[in-house]
Amino acid sequence: MTAIEPICPPPRETARKATLLVLAWNRWDLTERCLETLLATDLGNTEVLVVDNGSTDETPERLAEIAGIRVLRLPKNLGFVRGNNAGIETADPDSDIVLLNNDLVFTQADWLFRLRAAAASDPKIGVVGCRLRLPDGRLLHAGTYILPDTFWGQQIGALEQDLGQYTAEVREVEGIVFACAFIRRELLAEIGGLALDFESYFEDTDYCLRARKAGWKTVVCGGVTLVHNEHGSTQNDPDSLGRLFQTSRAVFRAKWGPELSSRYRHRLLWQSIMNFPTGYAMSCREILRALDTEGVEVAYRYVYGPRTVFPPSEPDNSEDYRLNVLRSRPVSWRPKAAVVYGQGDVFGSNRGRIKIGYTMLEVDGFPRDWVRAAQKMDEVWVPSEFNRQGFLASGLKRPVEIIPLGVDTNYFHPGLQAFPNLQGEFVFFSAFEWGERKEPGLLLKIFNDEFGCDEPVRLLCKVINRDPGLKLKEEIRALRLRDSGGRISFLFNQEFPHYQLGSLYSSTDCFVSVSRGEGWNMPLMEAMACGLPAIATDWGAHREFIDEGNSYPLRVRGTIPAVAKCPYYTGFRWADPDPDHLRHLLRQVVEKRDEARAKGAAAAREIAAHWTWRHTAKKIIARLEALGV
Amino acid sequence: MTNDAMNGLEATLRIARLEARVATLEAVLLRRSNELRELQKLLPSRELLNFSRLADGLPPLPFGSYDLAIWRETTALTAANVPETLRDLWQSLTPKSAASR
Repeated sequence: MTAIEPICPPPRETARKATLLVLAWNRWDLTERCLETLLATDLGNTEVLVVDNGSTDETPERLAEIAGIRVLRLPKNLGFVRGNNAGIETADPDSDIVLLNNDLVFTQADWLFRLRAAAASDPKIGVVGCRLRLPDGRLLHAGTYILPDTFWGQQIGALEQDLGQYTAEVREVEGIVFACAFIRRELLAEIGGLALDFESYFEDTDYCLRARKAGWKTVVCGGVTLVHNEHGSTQNDPDSLGRLFQTSRAVFRAKWGPELSSRYRHRLLWQSIMNFPTGYAMSCREILRALDTEGVEVAYRYVYGPRTVFPPSEPDNSEDYRLNVLRSRPVSWRPKAAVVYGQGDVFGSNRGRIKIGYTMLEVDGFPRDWVRAAQKMDEVWVPSEFNRQGFLASGLKRPVEIIPLGVDTNYFHPGLQAFPNLQGEFVFFSAFEWGERKEPGLLLKIFNDEFGCDEPVRLLCKVINRDPGLKLKEEIRALRLRDSGGRISFLFNQEFPHYQLGSLYSSTDCFVSVSRGEGWNMPLMEAMACGLPAIATDWGAHREFIDEGNSYPLRVRGTIPAVAKCPYYTGFRWADPDPDHLRHLLRQVVEKRDEARAKGAAAAREIAAHWTWRHTAKKIIARLEALGV
Repeated sequence: MTNDAMNGLEATLRIARLEARVATLEAVLLRRSNELRELQKLLPSRELLNFSRLADGLPPLPFGSYDLAIWRETTALTAANVPETLRDLWQSLTPKSAASR
């Protein structure tokens, strides 16, 4: 049994009675395992009520043999909705209800205690769900959402390796699956049981929407994870699954279509890139998800392709349901407003009547043709004051607004599963594409020189090289690193699923970013969100979110001409990080680990409080409202 | 010696030869199994996987090593998972010593 301390545990003795309603139809093997594991947990003031939904196997006889439970025997299978409603009607009318599928396995003693604590954290919480995990260890559910375009409910986090994502004790969601659902008695009294419009499927989303309409919240308690053998009672009958699903979907569409569509208060065309492994693409995906969640009906179109600076056509599949829907949303030829999010030389593709260009750059100014294109925008957005000043210095006369980027704290937080170094070495971590801007040679040289191979310290570099003209082996050999110096390991050209990166950061001890310039520095922000102390050059866009209190800003000796292959940098300047200060900071972090940990903890708190994608979406919405969109 | 006796002796010898061959093959198999078990203890799982692939006549997985000395230069990105990669990385840095086996 696992146990994590809840944030605000309520006194156990004052918890209201709960009826744990287990709905079972045949599959005694599942019901038996469910009850065995359930009854072994810490149940407190509860009654276990098993609703036998007309089972025809050994279930009735075997249930009669189990002590400490109450059984409601229904004459025939009434389906999920009527079966649960029969149980709710039979339960103690003063008790809260916890609906449970018979294919659950309980591996956490305090699961009910935590669900109750989540419910108690806000009197307007009416429904509490939990994380569900498949028997093979993959995450199955951390809440649900449904889009009015397709009326096909989606489970958040589904089929990702469970690395500790979505573990916040209380997180508001649109809906949950009712495999495990704590329902507050006051909510039941107000809106009743499950709607009889549905035999099975959609009844849970319907219930959560009804609750929301009545002013109640639905949350997921991330401190509880149950194992769910999905569709345990119907898995042998796929035809019936399909029939039930389509019937219920049609009913749901008719009932909730207008309501779901009305949640969008703004409409926007977003022209960008999202299905390639680039920084713009990754952040584009996050912004789109956040905008859609926050009530912007956003449609996506690829802004690059033939006759642009990035000619490849974009693959159709985003491998993300919501993003695929956004990509297929219809758009008029001249929508009211459009944002081009990408390099300034594609601003000219903006199709909106109100035109917004959103970009960033890593040097102290912007190329002339970017500025010319930006002059044709109604408004220009950049993530940082650093870039705002750069545009103004380059002569832009249009309004420049700061829209910072963010981080998803469900995937980047200090509680993620870590895979620490077996030797207990202190591990510095850096992630970069090899090139002039990231200044990898400086970090490798200084680290190797400052530490000895006999010290329990290691530098792990996640390196990307996509330039066929660059021979990394030769570049690294040319640094003449000492065998007797600090030990360095590489993860070379490996592409990890973005949702797993938090575990990578969490498996190390300090993040290092010794770049000459940054347009935002997403890896730095993600590492800080995971609670890592970070050393980062004190110049560039990321100064928006680093300071002495939450990180180790690396002094610069001044700025120097930005000499690089990238043509956008020509004529501009970037930072010259101080090698002596880098050496000093690397040693300081190793020797003053308590101080480093405190800075990392402060960083995680600040990022979670101020720098999420939700904050980004809210700022965008404020601008859209100011522009009358 | 009669023909029957000759045939009987020949059969006995053939059986003895076959039994000896089986015994030899069993010994080779046992030694090989032991070697593989030792390799399994020593090698990170990814290296073991590549070992098996090579033994089956397949090419090794397209994967850069953590060690510069055996790093294969490429501009192609390789899909990987964090848990497996880190487990392999740390294990590759701390091979079990012969004494601890």
